[in-house]
Amino acid sequence: MSIQPRAFLTLDCGSSTTSGAVLGHVGGRWRLIAHATAPSHIEPDEVLIGLLTRLGAADPGMLADLGADGGDMPTLVATWPRLVARTTPERRIAVLAGSRRQRRRLENVALRAGWLVVGGSADGDDPVVLSRLALSPETTAVLLGADRSPSGDEKRHLPDLAALVAAITRTRPELAVVLAGSAAAYESDFGIFDEPTAIAPVAPTVGGRSTQPEPGAAGPSNDKAAGQSKTPVSASAEASAQAAESAAEVAPSAAAAATPGRPGPAPTAAADATPGRSGPAPTAAETAFRSPDAILASPHILLAPDADAGSPPGASLQQVLEGLRALPNDSRLGVARSIYSLAYVLDRSIEIVEVGLQGGLLARAEPYGQGHFAVVSSHAGLADASFAPKNPSEEVIDGLLAWSTVALDRHRAMDRLNDLRLVPWGEADGEGASFRLAAAKAAFGRLIEATPELADHPLPELLVAAGGIFTALPPSLVALALADLVRRPGVSHLALDEARILGPLGAIEDETERRRLMANLADDILMPLGSLILPAGVRPGRSAGHLRIRDATTMSEIELHPGAVQVIDLPPGRTGRADLEFRDAVRLPKRAHHFSIEVGGGLGGLLVDLRDIPMRISDRPDSRRAALEAWQRGMWPESDE
Amino acid sequence: MTARARLAATEIPAELARVVGRRVLVFSPTIRYRLAPGDRALVAPGDMVEPGTPIAERTLEAEFVEIGPIDRPTEIKPGARGEASGTVAGGSLARLWANVQAEHEEPHPGSRPAIASMADRKQAPPGVERRRPPMPGKWWVGGGDRRGKPARAKGDQRIAGTLLYQVNGRWNAAAGERHEIVESAVAGIVREARNAVEVRIEVAGSAVPGAIAAGEPSRGYLDVPRLTDGDLWASALDVGRAGAVVVAGTRLSAQAISRARAMSIRGLIACSVGEGELRDLEASRQRQRASLAPSVSFGLIALDGHGRRPLATPILALLAAMAGREVAIVTDPPLLVFDDSDVPLPELPPDWIRARSGPHAGREGRWIKSAGLYRFRGGIHLEAAVVRFADYTDTTVVPVTDLERFIF
Repeated sequence: MSIQPRAFLTLDCGSSTTSGAVLGHVGGRWRLIAHATAPSHIEPDEVLIGLLTRLGAADPGMLADLGADGGDMPTLVATWPRLVARTTPERRIAVLAGSRRQRRRLENVALRAGWLVVGGSADGDDPVVLSRLALSPETTAVLLGADRSPSGDEKRHLPDLAALVAAITRTRPELAVVLAGSAAAYESDFGIFDEPTAIAPVAPTVGGRSTQPEPGAAGPSNDKAAGQSKTPVSASAEASAQAAESAAEVAPSAAAAATPGRPGPAPTAAADATPGRSGPAPTAAETAFRSPDAILASPHILLAPDADAGSPPGASLQQVLEGLRALPNDSRLGVARSIYSLAYVLDRSIEIVEVGLQGGLLARAEPYGQGHFAVVSSHAGLADASFAPKNPSEEVIDGLLAWSTVALDRHRAMDRLNDLRLVPWGEADGEGASFRLAAAKAAFGRLIEATPELADHPLPELLVAAGGIFTALPPSLVALALADLVRRPGVSHLALDEARILGPLGAIEDETERRRLMANLADDILMPLGSLILPAGVRPGRSAGHLRIRDATTMSEIELHPGAVQVIDLPPGRTGRADLEFRDAVRLPKRAHHFSIEVGGGLGGLLVDLRDIPMRISDRPDSRRAALEAWQRGMWPESDE
Repeated sequence: MTARARLAATEIPAELARVVGRRVLVFSPTIRYRLAPGDRALVAPGDMVEPGTPIAERTLEAEFVEIGPIDRPTEIKPGARGEASGTVAGGSLARLWANVQAEHEEPHPGSRPAIASMADRKQAPPGVERRRPPMPGKWWVGGGDRRGKPARAKGDQRIAGTLLYQVNGRWNAAAGERHEIVESAVAGIVREARNAVEVRIEVAGSAVPGAIAAGEPSRGYLDVPRLTDGDLWASALDVGRAGAVVVAGTRLSAQAISRARAMSIRGLIACSVGEGELRDLEASRQRQRASLAPSVSFGLIALDGHGRRPLATPILALLAAMAGREVAIVTDPPLLVFDDSDVPLPELPPDWIRARSGPHAGREGRWIKSAGLYRFRGGIHLEAAVVRFADYTDTTVVPVTDLERFIF
């Protein structure tokens, strides 16, 4: 009879930050016990050992309750189960198409799948240019795509393009090739070299809305999304898809699910690739999925749907490209999966913005349908949404300067951004913090630009920020950053994934298990930043109206000033009812004069953002910086230190 | 103490473990020369190369060339090697195969050698067909009979490049008239060589890793002039330093780079360089390549990054000890390569640290103790350390993430 563990560890190994956490079964349910963050040059086990040491010093009884039994910390770290998520390094894909129009569509999908993208089209570039893109040692995959029914301008180039790509795979057999849409008809061009090995997933749709079971996952949905219609794919593709699915089921299964609600079995093995840890010999499928280089070591051809398939258009191809790019327990995809589960558990619409060194993620999950038993989700992970992208373009610098409260010329801004990439944790205080905030906001802005479909959705009920750069900033600043960039009318609770366990929890393969664990941890894993009230249509003037907020013991009233961000102190754990009375009708999101809203507290308090939607700030650098500084000073008085 | 001996004797205090370690020397790194369509490797895996060994031939301004069908070597009569045999639509390729390098080794699926190694070439018996059938990436030489070219331009001008792909039995290539030979800047063993892709060389020696490198791989004697406040005046870069790789101090200016190139200086080493200067250099290189004027290779390396700060004293001492010896600047990855692995390293206290970023960037001193979580400017809480900088009398509390220690 085995003893069920009462605790497990999570690790999020990012490119610049490593976060570790201890989760224990306390008081009949799983709780977040402690967490710590460190620069990524520190060994993950060191982070966990330090965390357990501090936990033991602060509350030895708690450690004993978790089953420590007086063991030394390195032994505990080595023996306790753990869930591990890792950031996938940047990878580059060459997008080739017959026409510029098709190239743009394919590039958009590849960008949303997190690839660094270079592209060319046969009608605009000669074959030397196209082959240069694919032959570059930095390129790890090639996407050759065409419409399902290509028009003449596109169709006439396809034989040459297919021959070119097939020839490139002879020179670079390590390249992975994705043939999308009708380009798949040229699969035989590659047959003389290799057998096709894998294939396109199916993009189920229900009523025009995406019913992807979970972002980045291969398994079937547990939702009641019946009646799914399959995108037609070739028979060989279907067969290959089954093989790919079965392989994918094995790979993440090492991240065995914790069983919330009872003290075990906690996550076992946990897909841990930590050096020095022993474990069962990996299966062939695990081996294939373990190393990113292993994935790309042998040439293979993927057949995929065209850039319009799925809902939203391109979702199916995006899923294929994500699977090709991401590591088995990719942290970013894990976050998207966790948000999907959390939306179901909390029965709330949730959006999360995650910004890291290797890219960013913007994901939305929302329960829908009768009984809210199903969740619709979409996400986009952009390599370009890194807070310090490699080789920043002029647009990236423009975006940075637009949010910077530090006076910088373009060259200096570029130098500092490049240095931030070289030393992500460098100068994290003082002016460096302001610069990092501007870099994070610029990255957030790029994510929003890349996901125009989210602009049509109302403000989510819960808005979450994640990523090492946010966790190092004052919480109130993070709340302001969210308000600065999510310019949609509505009311939202703001939170921060400070412990960074959403990624590791996303490594749990079984959706039901993940939901159960989420139900236990929902109150712990997100740090409340406060609430955001964001009305649209506030007219300029001396006063926009009044706000009264009542909680169990107190009531306060403030006057609302157009163009300002007003903060009402509402500490974490407190809730209240805010009654807003506007002079003119505003949208929140419905148009009215009077609103009564339930709000929750947080470290940033209650933010009432009466600035314009979309936000209008002067284009003159000095005026813009002054405005940003004024808003920022209200949330970050220590900035003047 | 030599680098190898120092490595064996390295002792790091436990409390310094949380400070990021900066490796001063790496041994036998693998470097890469990138190739593009039209470029070919002149070496094969396993070949030993010395500085100056031709390793690749670049095709400048490679264009798309429609070749037409190419006969396979099997159709060539035995003993007819070098005779006109290939036919091309619209013209002949009389000397096509005669000019092709001996390429008889069947390529390995994972790492396709561009040509056979020297040893294999010597072993090939006479009269045996050594040519490979046309395949993507194969070197191709053609005449001035390209389509679309006016008759005047044809002449005897030869074009050469690499085959791209075949469609409907007709081959296409990336080829051009102008070529340049790429010589190895380092000694080592070729690990991978693929036409149009790359040549990888495992360096025989040691190297100082840098943060940024630009220009081309270059080689020269190491010149460590006297620095003024950590900087080298641009006027000090005179013709007397031609052929040198010069240590230029804190930061490279555009003026210093221009002047160094004009004086045939082979490279500059500094702590930092701005992105603007790098862009200027790249634009200048492109212009020079477009012109017909040949130029000596020039490379620069910034050891720390972009922000201005002085060179780390252990590295400066190392460079001073190596002054006068041949060094190479490699751009991919950024490395300053020494031919010798046994490099004399300066003595350094084990608790010696350097601020790599923040307001104290560039200062060096000794680690005193850990200060735990500390509230810094702007109310930011970070793990801190108490350090004593060399030029300060008092101790200073610094975020641990702003510090680095040296690993030999």
